[in-house]
Amino acid sequence: MSQIKYEIMIIIDPSIDERTVAPTLDKFLAVVPKEGGTIEKIDIWGRRKFAYPIKKQAEGTYAVVNIESEPATVQELDRLLNLSEAILRTKVLRFEEAVVDLRAEKRAAYLAQKAASEGAEKVAAAT
Amino acid sequence: MAGKGNPRAKGPNRNLKNAKTAPVKAIKVGVIDYKDVATLRKFVSERGKIRARRITGVSVQEQRLIARAVKNAREMALLPYAGSGR
Repeated sequence: MSQIKYEIMIIIDPSIDERTVAPTLDKFLAVVPKEGGTIEKIDIWGRRKFAYPIKKQAEGTYAVVNIESEPATVQELDRLLNLSEAILRTKVLRFEEAVVDLRAEKRAAYLAQKAASEGAEKVAAAT
Repeated sequence: MAGKGNPRAKGPNRNLKNAKTAPVKAIKVGVIDYKDVATLRKFVSERGKIRARRITGVSVQEQRLIARAVKNAREMALLPYAGSGR
């Protein structure tokens, strides 16, 4: 039905070996294609210090995943992630909410205005 | 800068137009992203508080997006919560 772009940020327990992070993630992300969604990008940041401790840990492995799927699919993915002990925290955002490009928005507004005024000119010329 | 008004402009013979503080140079941002910690740091004080619009000089709409982004970043431990420092 309606596919929506999502961005999911996942914090993985630092005790999990860096090399096994990608396969662990893939295991969770398997639900996405199974339910008709697509995985667009998996970005593993690697280890990063927390601004404050989470579950007594001072650092964690960050990963950002971009997917396009049904709302129910992400909900299920988030549920599965939160069930796992290896995942410290997750955040699911709509892609357009996560990254707001002001320049693109301004440009779109400008183009829309331009198109509208040109359309009006054409009408004026025709009459 | 409307709304609460300038607290210094209390005197009756103070011209409201002149009472406006000097316009601050707005911090320019192209993309507001909760993952972009370096950019968000500019909008956060040393103690982790979100800087007021009168200091950052950005528009209302932008300030809202920035506040959202900072809060999201805090939840993911990318930025500290206010007061939790030291």
